[in-house]
Amino acid sequence: MGTAMVITSGKGGVGKTTSTANIGTALALLGKRVCLIDADIGLRNLDVVMGLENRIIYDIVDVATGQCRLEQALIRDKRFDGLALLPASQTKDKSALDAERVRTIVAELKQAFDFVVIDCPAGIEHGFQVATAGADEAIVVTTPETAAVRDADRVIGLLEKSGLRSPKLVINRIRPKMVRAGDMLDIDEIVQVLSIDLLGVVPDDETVIAHNIKGEPTVLRNDAKASQAYRNIARRILGDAVPLMVLEEEPGVFARMRRLFGGRR
Amino acid sequence: MTVRTADQSQTDMRPPVSIKGTKGGLLFLLDEKAPHKDIVEHLQRLLCGDLASLFNGPEVAVYVDYGARDCSREEIREILHLFLEKDNFRVREFGQDTTARKMMFHNHREPGRPHSIYRGTVRAGQQLLFDGDVVVIGDVNPGGEIAATGDIYVLGRLRGLAHAGCQGDEQAIIAAAEFAPMQLRIANWVSRAPETDGRPLRTTMEFAYLREDGMAVDKLMYVQSVRPEWAFHPAE
Repeated sequence: MGTAMVITSGKGGVGKTTSTANIGTALALLGKRVCLIDADIGLRNLDVVMGLENRIIYDIVDVATGQCRLEQALIRDKRFDGLALLPASQTKDKSALDAERVRTIVAELKQAFDFVVIDCPAGIEHGFQVATAGADEAIVVTTPETAAVRDADRVIGLLEKSGLRSPKLVINRIRPKMVRAGDMLDIDEIVQVLSIDLLGVVPDDETVIAHNIKGEPTVLRNDAKASQAYRNIARRILGDAVPLMVLEEEPGVFARMRRLFGGRR
Repeated sequence: MTVRTADQSQTDMRPPVSIKGTKGGLLFLLDEKAPHKDIVEHLQRLLCGDLASLFNGPEVAVYVDYGARDCSREEIREILHLFLEKDNFRVREFGQDTTARKMMFHNHREPGRPHSIYRGTVRAGQQLLFDGDVVVIGDVNPGGEIAATGDIYVLGRLRGLAHAGCQGDEQAIIAAAEFAPMQLRIANWVSRAPETDGRPLRTTMEFAYLREDGMAVDKLMYVQSVRPEWAFHPAE
């Protein structure tokens, strides 16, 4: 029986889809069987980031409405045996899915996969309710901006209310130089406000965008800093105690993060 | 051996008339359960007996509240006369449920006021309302709102909106370990936080607890890791 994780943020554009693709792929790299679900109905894009767009025949709405079997809609990633994608629908809208159907689909996928990673749409309306319905755990993605942190706070409140008790935090697109100059919220500050466990910090990395365009998750490359950060996140999900990586040659940041990470144990 | 209950001893010890000093003068509270005879005797001793000189002096406003007692018009008149006989007494109020009595209890606050403890973070978008006083063990985040008909104490960072005395109690207070609220409201007053040259005050509340290897001190936000049963109670 696998674990279903929803990746959510409230605010759009903070990197939910990129994080879903990379965390999912990183777990597959570690030998786990992983199924990614794109729950952003109508704004399908996880398949694009994964480079699997041209192989879609059926989607999650077809499964939910009984037009095909679940196995028919699953796209196996050619790079890994254990990685699959259940794509969103491009044409139907969000009302085509309801929480009960998604719960059934996720429960079925959990039988066959170690991890089911659900990419949640932005916002806190119907799409969010549906995407979180079948999840056992939640990962909240935020960026070091006030608006993103505020929305993350709101989302954590909603997750806790719906019974997803201890969501984990991923801080995306951090720029150590800006943090040091005081132009960006620092990690310490964000973790204090949100008061949930920090799962990882992903540095802002231009290569991520380049890889997105090629349809290749960043974790498949060894040269990017973001790649290492996502691999570390995957290992922490599996229970390894991996220290937060040094984002730049600055001892202050490292010491601060280690303290943060140590504080929760 | 006789056993006296707490109740008995109280009625025995408490005189049938109690006198409170208020801002405007003296408030006489007559025990509504005491018999009329006792009250009259007590008042006579008080106002005309040995101790009467205590009440002599400059003019003083007097408020008399005899509570919800059953008494005839004659009995009431008898009591009123005792007060009118004192030259320097100016009887301002005489009756039951007087405003003087209400003011008295309003200022002293009823001891049985409800209070609540909220454990967890009040997050953006959450609105919590409590009857009476509330203690928040956790933070009130920006965008979060907490309101209480009484006082609000935040054992954490107050960075959202707090509304104490939300049904008009102007005596209510708001306290926080770190005071950086977005907005403060007490009764019908609205205010913004005192500004400390742009940066919030840097104070952290900590708590001590025992571990296998001895005593440890940690930030209060981690109290749930020691008491997992405290893990938040989401508001309905």
